[in-house]
Amino acid sequence: MHNKIKIERAILNITQDELAQKIGVSRQTINSIEANRYVPSTVLALKLSKLFKKPVNDFFELSEDD
Amino acid sequence: MNKESFIECERKRFVKLIKFRLPNRFLKIGIAIVGLSLIGMVVRGFFHVSDTEWLKLLFQKTLLVGMLIMSISKDKIEDEMTIQLRAQSYMYAFVLGVVYALVMPYVEFGVSNVVNNGGEAYKDLGDFQVLLFMLMIQLMFYHNLKRYR
Repeated sequence: MHNKIKIERAILNITQDELAQKIGVSRQTINSIEANRYVPSTVLALKLSKLFKKPVNDFFELSEDD
Repeated sequence: MNKESFIECERKRFVKLIKFRLPNRFLKIGIAIVGLSLIGMVVRGFFHVSDTEWLKLLFQKTLLVGMLIMSISKDKIEDEMTIQLRAQSYMYAFVLGVVYALVMPYVEFGVSNVVNNGGEAYKDLGDFQVLLFMLMIQLMFYHNLKRYR
């Protein structure tokens, strides 16, 4: 799974810490998601979708090994 | 109460039970209990007072209780990733605990007989040793998994 969370965060001009606070997780979790080390749950993906005002598919995409 | 609502009620109660965690402030209480237990053990070891076997057992129990409190205390920010890491750490602790309980008696027996000719007889591990090992592994793995996440 690849994601464009970092780009979306840059568009909103917010830090990892601010994004983490907005969706109720730790900064380390945001860091892990951005680094593709952790795949978030549907609930978290939908929270991000609501915040970015974009469908989940716009910033999450399956990789070849998924 | 019909069958479906009864099952739903049971399910909710079960989910609530498996999601149970102590608040974050209990982590410090757990650390304090562990610290005091270790200090107590060291002090008891230095001053060999007779008839203190009960004290040794007491400190062992308080050490386990302290570590258990640490183990089930929430983080400052408890999110889905920390829940997943915690679950992983329990899995490692369980698997390694079983392996430890199976292998360690033979290791102790082997080493004892290699070092001393006709060393100790074979004996199983005590519950304290196994529980301490499992709790140590859980806390260590959880800490490391969080560190390298």
